[in-house]
Amino acid sequence: MKIKLRLYGSSKILSDKDILNIQLPNNSNIESVRDILSKIISEKKLKDSLDNLPKTAAFFSEKDEIVNDNYKLKDKEFISIIPPIGGG
Amino acid sequence: MSLHTALVKIGEKKISSEKAKNFIFAEKNGAETIFVGRVRSNNSGKKVNAVTYDAHDKAVIKSFQSICINAKNTFDKNANIFLEHAKGYVPVGEISILIAVGSGHRDEAFKICRYILEEIKHQSPIWKKEHYAEGKEEWLPGHSLRPKEDIK
Repeated sequence: MKIKLRLYGSSKILSDKDILNIQLPNNSNIESVRDILSKIISEKKLKDSLDNLPKTAAFFSEKDEIVNDNYKLKDKEFISIIPPIGGG
Repeated sequence: MSLHTALVKIGEKKISSEKAKNFIFAEKNGAETIFVGRVRSNNSGKKVNAVTYDAHDKAVIKSFQSICINAKNTFDKNANIFLEHAKGYVPVGEISILIAVGSGHRDEAFKICRYILEEIKHQSPIWKKEHYAEGKEEWLPGHSLRPKEDIK
């Protein structure tokens, strides 16, 4: 299945676009997204700037609510990655 | 209406302290506090030219509303609150955040202002990328919204 990951903050380093398309096995959850992100960061040699992102990021569902690692993803679902925040 | 919150796309609009002052004014209030945050010209020994603010717009507005309502319920239900935060490319010296509070008394006005600022840093999905004079740029570290017990 495929999901669409909306990128915010430092995660925008991952792509020139605001959305990253990710291919996952069926019945994947947020933990699977963290694993895939680690692989992408490693492949793109972005460890210097994004090494902690997979473990420190939170994720929002389409309802803009934080979801935990057991949250089951649906095919074509949009989720948002929320890196550590720092406004003000 | 006693509450105004907004994300302001810099380049299209400006954050205005005059607008904030007019919004919070009320004859019943004896105290007004205004906090203005600006992009500063240096950070960690580096010369900064500007900061780009990224935001999850819907979640930010939801968090602003929740934070301000909590502040009113905690300190002064009748307070007038004006809160605007910049989004986009903000040059050094420009306003990044403005919090204005009109309240019956100074103690509540100061407390509400401080409370809102600190809660934004811990709740509102906003990110900063600094642009340095040397030509490099860097996303700044921040506060994780993932529950601490889940971070191994």
